[in-house]
Amino acid sequence: MPIGAGYAEAIGHHGELVQGLFEDDGAQMRRALVSLPCRQLRSKARFTANNSDQLRVIPASREKARRAAELTVNAFGRSGIGADLQIDSNIPLSRGMGSSTADVLASILAVLDWLGIEAASDDVMQIAVSAETACDSTLFRQQAVLFAHRDGVVMESFRRPLPPIDFISIDTTPGATVDTLDFEPARYDQLEIETFRPLRGLLRTAIKNADARMLGRVATASARINERFLPKPRLAEIETIGARFDAIGFQVAHSGTVVGLMFDASDLKAPVNIERATAALRQSGFEPAIFRH
Amino acid sequence: MSTRALMRKLEDFEAPRVVPLGGNLYGASFFLMKLLPARFMLERAADQGLLRPGATICESSSGTFGLALAMLAVQHGYRLILVSDWALDRNLHRRLIELGAEVTIVDRPAPSGGLQQARLDRLQGYLQDVSGSYWPSQYYNPDNPLSYGKVAEQLVDRLGRVDCLIGPVGSGGSMSGTSRYLRTLFPDLYAIGVDTPNSVLFGQPSGKLNLSGLGGNILPSNVDHSQFDEVHWLVPAEAFHATHDLHRQHGLFMGPTSGAAYRVAKWWSRNNPGKTVVALFPDEGHRYAETVYDEDWLEKIAGWSDPPRASPFTVSTPMAPMSGWSRFAWDRRSLDDVLAHASDQHDTAADPRADSARSGA
Ligand SMILES: Cc1ncc(COP(=O)(O)O)c(C=O)c1O
Repeated sequence: MPIGAGYAEAIGHHGELVQGLFEDDGAQMRRALVSLPCRQLRSKARFTANNSDQLRVIPASREKARRAAELTVNAFGRSGIGADLQIDSNIPLSRGMGSSTADVLASILAVLDWLGIEAASDDVMQIAVSAETACDSTLFRQQAVLFAHRDGVVMESFRRPLPPIDFISIDTTPGATVDTLDFEPARYDQLEIETFRPLRGLLRTAIKNADARMLGRVATASARINERFLPKPRLAEIETIGARFDAIGFQVAHSGTVVGLMFDASDLKAPVNIERATAALRQSGFEPAIFRH
Repeated sequence: MSTRALMRKLEDFEAPRVVPLGGNLYGASFFLMKLLPARFMLERAADQGLLRPGATICESSSGTFGLALAMLAVQHGYRLILVSDWALDRNLHRRLIELGAEVTIVDRPAPSGGLQQARLDRLQGYLQDVSGSYWPSQYYNPDNPLSYGKVAEQLVDRLGRVDCLIGPVGSGGSMSGTSRYLRTLFPDLYAIGVDTPNSVLFGQPSGKLNLSGLGGNILPSNVDHSQFDEVHWLVPAEAFHATHDLHRQHGLFMGPTSGAAYRVAKWWSRNNPGKTVVALFPDEGHRYAETVYDEDWLEKIAGWSDPPRASPFTVSTPMAPMSGWSRFAWDRRSLDDVLAHASDQHDTAADPRADSARSGA
């Protein structure tokens, strides 16, 4: 048995810019999303092979990460290997910020690092989806993608990264949690389903032209649709404060509790606006946190 | 896996071509706009079990919706019965027959509601007699406006932000639907509907109509009045002049409802520089070769030899007599709301040529 270690990191996200139901090339409807990646949030995985016959995860609560590592080991013909999988993450749990996906991806990539294998992102995503049913799009950082998170397939690649966005994070229900997978998938009505088409069109244009403002409009529209399924308390107040300080829109965790007030990172006035909006939010009793792209 | 009914063989014909018309004005030029709502309505009806394989589709149409249905019916194996009237262009009639549609012509207007009502009465007869028949009902079927998410997608995909949308209103589906979808992204979108005098759609007293595809004598539920910021009315001669302008100036050979939209869009665009304006052009000109594009036919049209108005006359009520291009600030109100207000306003300025208008219309 090869002894040795592999290491990898994966990032979390701050919910989604868009999430909905979209038609693929074969006119099949699929649930899909575009995550808002957040590089400050990370899960780090160290996979250390040993002579036992058990794959252990530390902390033991990260069972999905263990399964992901095991699936990867099996997929590449090394089943039965003993190892310790150590997860170290600063991503808040159960807020819709991708803690679980990040653990899973970091674990898969750590195993691949140990094996010395460079796997295609499609294969990585397939393993990730089998380890945890649904998965976000944070793996794709060079090119933004519309990702079918329950099928583990890219529906559309936009060929460029997302334009840089700074945002203020607000947890609208700090006490409560949402279990991403227990949460019943939204039952969109026909108007909502058809509305996702223009959202997708503007998403394409916004990414192509690196136009953060247009992206803000897409995110806001998607967040509004989501209000029917997982409403965010006091969203209107957050929006009003955003409008006062030239926020380009807001985005939400479609299966979580956080709201992000978005700013165009390429706008010279953004830092001042962000400071002022943060102060105003605090005054209204929110606990805002600033994330820069 | 879903088992959705799909009727996509003609899908590539559904999208408009986006044509720059100078400044920030664009034409969304369709081969046949109605292919999209027709396909969408049929797919949804099949999904809901209302339209079974090989069943009979019955509809009242003398225009593009009938043609779209006929093309889809032949592609996807449905029988089609179309109820029409004398206004049906003879070339279109031949084309429908070649597509296998059974076309029946109504020649006597109903005592109220005119030919449109007479056609609907005949249609009811077919729907009762033919078992398993399905009526798409473009004027009342909510799937008509719902289908335009795809057009909104194509516009923003191509142009990004859209500030103003202008288009002709018949069933109301295209303008009401597209405006609504665009407003989820651009709440300030300015929507302008183009109608024609004597059409009841935006409050004119009912009268004889001579411009198919524009306006009507019956109010369809698919006109969502609350979507419109402004409404314009063009008499047929003005729409025809504009149709020729669109052809001569931009090489676009379109139908007269496109011309009507073009006239209004060009005017609005000139007065609002820097705004991205899209005009909907619903069909091509071939079907009008013997009418709108025929000088002899045009000679007989009221007002054809008069110089067209260069700008609209602003009316203070949509019930005002109109002798030519008119506009009214609708302000996204309901029809009832607008008409309730209109009755308080008798003494406002009247159209300078309106006295002669009624006889000319
Ligand atoms: C040529 C033409 N233009 C415009 C329209 C109006 O479009 P809508 O029915 O979506 O209001 C129609 C409708 O029948 C049409 O046939």
